[in-house]
Amino acid sequence: MKSTDSLSLTLNLNNATVQTQAAFADTLLTVLRDRLQLTAAKRGCNQGVCGACTISIDGKPMRACLSLAHNCVDASLHTLEGLETDQTLRALQSAFEQGGALQCGFCTPGMLMAARALVQSNASPTVEQVQQALSGNLCRCTGYRKIIDAVRSAAQSLRGEP
Amino acid sequence: MAELQGLYRPTTLRAALELLAQDAEARPLAGGATLVAMMNARVLEPRALVSLGSIAELRGIRTLEEGTVRIGAFTRHSETAADPGLSNTLAVVREAAGQIANATVRNMGTIGGSVAFADPGLDYPPALVAANARIEMTSLTGVRSLSASEFFVDWYTTALLPGELVSAVLLPAAVEGVGRYHKLARVAGDYAIVSVAITRSSTGAVRVAVGGCGPTPLSDEGVNTLLSGAPSTQTIDAACARLVELADPVDDVRGSAAYRRQVMPRMLRSALGEST
Repeated sequence: MKSTDSLSLTLNLNNATVQTQAAFADTLLTVLRDRLQLTAAKRGCNQGVCGACTISIDGKPMRACLSLAHNCVDASLHTLEGLETDQTLRALQSAFEQGGALQCGFCTPGMLMAARALVQSNASPTVEQVQQALSGNLCRCTGYRKIIDAVRSAAQSLRGEP
Repeated sequence: MAELQGLYRPTTLRAALELLAQDAEARPLAGGATLVAMMNARVLEPRALVSLGSIAELRGIRTLEEGTVRIGAFTRHSETAADPGLSNTLAVVREAAGQIANATVRNMGTIGGSVAFADPGLDYPPALVAANARIEMTSLTGVRSLSASEFFVDWYTTALLPGELVSAVLLPAAVEGVGRYHKLARVAGDYAIVSVAITRSSTGAVRVAVGGCGPTPLSDEGVNTLLSGAPSTQTIDAACARLVELADPVDDVRGSAAYRRQVMPRMLRSALGEST
């Protein structure tokens, strides 16, 4: 039987063409973390529940752990590592830092990716809208209050309000 | 351990059906929200997968000439939840789509994958029964469709035959009126403990389907007749009693069977109140 452990794989990742290897069964999360050493996306539950692996696929937040890498060859993929100069992400990172919206930090990359998608489509999210947008991202430290406040604060600063 | 030996990405439904026919071990892959999670947990170890994500004819929502709304099997929950055409009685399907899992998973999961999975706690099955939807299935030899209530057969079991794929969900033309989907869950995004889907036309015709109270969506023509028009309190009580009698819920981590029997009629009364 032919080994399928290390098939060649080309991805459009963070605005670059990336060559790597992956088995057919490897998820995008496995490829990102274990092959490409891009470790912002975290492996929490590996079941699509915790949200720690949330990345952007074709501009929408999706689960890297539920995406087979070889099924993503036509997609435009973005992880936190590729968004260093993204204005929305920087505003969120700054608000999380200033508002103490993280403790252990494990959920933070996924929270930022989900929050970025929200703020891009809704410049003035209400508390309830933030709660809904982040309902697929679990945090076991903060109790969520400071995360919600930070997302709304980032949205406020992106609107140019003090 | 079995190893995934192939991942095919056909661009036509026919090619996908041919690939599945050539390899009895191959499984169709839709949005991945359930199948890949099961692979990660080693519950399923398919030898080959046929990805349906590149098949244009399976995507999108369109209204056919006679008013039927056709939702392609690969339409994501987020698209269905945002579709303005799903109004009046068909809003029941839009409301159900918007309560599946969470915003991120709704960007992945598809209506075809969901109905083919047929877990009793899912949101679409009762909504599709209440909407009087039909499930379209395509094989290499043709296309057929069944009403949603005929399609869902048992726990995780549908009327799909080997060689068939769900190709679309067909909704009858929206009728002026209301469609609501009420879901009771432990936390937002969980599977339903109990859910109630209801459509009521402006002429008073009612269809009700209940999720989480049996292996398939619970519905009954007699109950629909009782609830249509302007039912008295006693008639509503009789309809609720009938549905509780027909219910076959289980005890599980989300709630006991007795609890489900207790909350279901209360949810139905609440949904009825909101639909009038």
